[in-house]
Amino acid sequence: MTPLVFLILLFASVPIALVLALTALWYIWDSGNLVLYDSYAQQIFAGIENYGLLAIPLFILTGELMNEGGMTGRLVRAARVFVGGFRGGLAYINLLANMFMAAIIGSAASQIAVMSRAMVPAMTKEGYDPGFAAATTAAGGLLAPVIPPSMLFVIYGVLAQLPIGDLFIAGIIPGFILALAFFLVVSLIGMKQQFPKGDWMRPAEALRAIRDALPAFLIPLAIVGGIVFGIATPTESAAVASLIAFLVGWLIYREIAPRDLGKLFVRTAINSSLVIFMIAAANVFGWVVVYEELPQKLAAFIATVTQNPFVFLLIVNLCLLFVGMLIDGIAALILVTPILLPIAMNNYDIDPFQFGVVISLNLVLGLLTPPVGVGLYIASAMSGVRPFTIFTALWPFLLAVAVVLVFLSYAPILSTALIR
Amino acid sequence: MLYRVSALWARVEIVAAAALAASVSGLILLNVVTRAMGQAIYWVDEAAIYAMVWMTFLAASAALHYRSAIAVTVVQEFLPQQTRAAMARFVDLVIFVFACLLVWILWRWFMPLELARAGWDVKAFQGATFNFIYAEPTSTLGIPKVWVWLVMVLFTLGALLHATANLLNPHADPGTPTGETS
Repeated sequence: MTPLVFLILLFASVPIALVLALTALWYIWDSGNLVLYDSYAQQIFAGIENYGLLAIPLFILTGELMNEGGMTGRLVRAARVFVGGFRGGLAYINLLANMFMAAIIGSAASQIAVMSRAMVPAMTKEGYDPGFAAATTAAGGLLAPVIPPSMLFVIYGVLAQLPIGDLFIAGIIPGFILALAFFLVVSLIGMKQQFPKGDWMRPAEALRAIRDALPAFLIPLAIVGGIVFGIATPTESAAVASLIAFLVGWLIYREIAPRDLGKLFVRTAINSSLVIFMIAAANVFGWVVVYEELPQKLAAFIATVTQNPFVFLLIVNLCLLFVGMLIDGIAALILVTPILLPIAMNNYDIDPFQFGVVISLNLVLGLLTPPVGVGLYIASAMSGVRPFTIFTALWPFLLAVAVVLVFLSYAPILSTALIR
Repeated sequence: MLYRVSALWARVEIVAAAALAASVSGLILLNVVTRAMGQAIYWVDEAAIYAMVWMTFLAASAALHYRSAIAVTVVQEFLPQQTRAAMARFVDLVIFVFACLLVWILWRWFMPLELARAGWDVKAFQGATFNFIYAEPTSTLGIPKVWVWLVMVLFTLGALLHATANLLNPHADPGTPTGETS
């Protein structure tokens, strides 16, 4: 009966956090273990009493400050210096700027929103197909959850009780592989259809573009450097990054002022609460998972299919692609990690870092696949291109992600090399 | 009338949550600075965590008013207008039931009547109920934890208010939580 309650509430579009909380309430009633009601509220509270989660509001704030502070445009100009002269320059600029942004923004959805507004009109004006322009931008957003910092890694780290800093480092190589795959896709498409010609900047112009963007580069440096060299926790790096973003936007670029901060904190509170509240509710839902021994049952079932960790990961990937199509990536991560991670670690001896990288990238792919591809709709809303048009131009990128996922599943070393 | 109270309370919750978000940033930065000077303040981390928890529950309650929480809308989008409206009413009803259940759960947890019956004497209350909610300390802040747990009461009452108002005014436009017009 409990699964039925869960599915009815979920697909009736009850907020996901309440679906989790209500399913737990129903389960307690159904199982007769009524004493759990006494610690129910305390358990919800305890689910988010966690130092690592502090990084979520701080990264969201940094992203907001970047947008308002005029950094996006300057980073795009700096990317132009490096790849602008190639045929199809703007498409490469788009990807390179997305890599920079991924090192600052932790969420794919907000990155797609920012970059669609910045890149799609520019690409269309230079003669690119609008669908291709929006698709390149949307795909570039997928770099956000893999290249550190990443909101999904923060959440996964909290759920899996892994050091978040190490998870960030684990994402570096996969992030570069994914970016490389996207560059390849763009050049392959470029061979088929003629991209508009790009031109190199004059040296003086190029120097100015790089100089303008230098202060913005401090942010990824502060985040990644602070974590890699062990100077600061991810939470502290995020706080420092938000301070730098504010100071640069205010004193150097002069595009935000202290009086704008109120509005930014409002958005930060609203957006981080949406995520953190789901994690709180997931903590009581965890009772259902634990008492029903869902991981054990599922493990017994999958064990009849395969003993091979790679095959297991392929099955997980296929299932999650389907889950990601229906459920928001963060919510899906919160739901599946407690069920799948114990199986991956105990039955198949899969490294938890590798598992985290694979399922995070997989679930975020759901942002771009219909029917619930939020990222697709965001890109569409920001660029004015129809979702279906974007999707038809997007499939080579999605295919590339699928190939990268297979690689990451096959070779744990890609995720674990830097942390050992 | 009730709807306007709900809207006003949601504004208050959002403003308070934003102030708490600001204090989270402030506290963590304070921690970075004081630690770099070798004079870390021991209670800052715990205070920052509680500020985040309060921010989360206040904004989560407001999200119920604005109907802006994350949900799976894939079925809803394929339904005809009328069925969709009926489903929205169902969701409002489910949220209302949830809020009522939370009131009952918090009543069992905080046991206000028993506390009053024990003459507000925490020791006597604990002896009678074996409920240690009022004795639990915080790790570093030096206040009883029940003060921090009170946010669950605020959340529950906020959720009940917003759920009731939405249930009675299905067609009201709540606007957006950021104050921009929708």
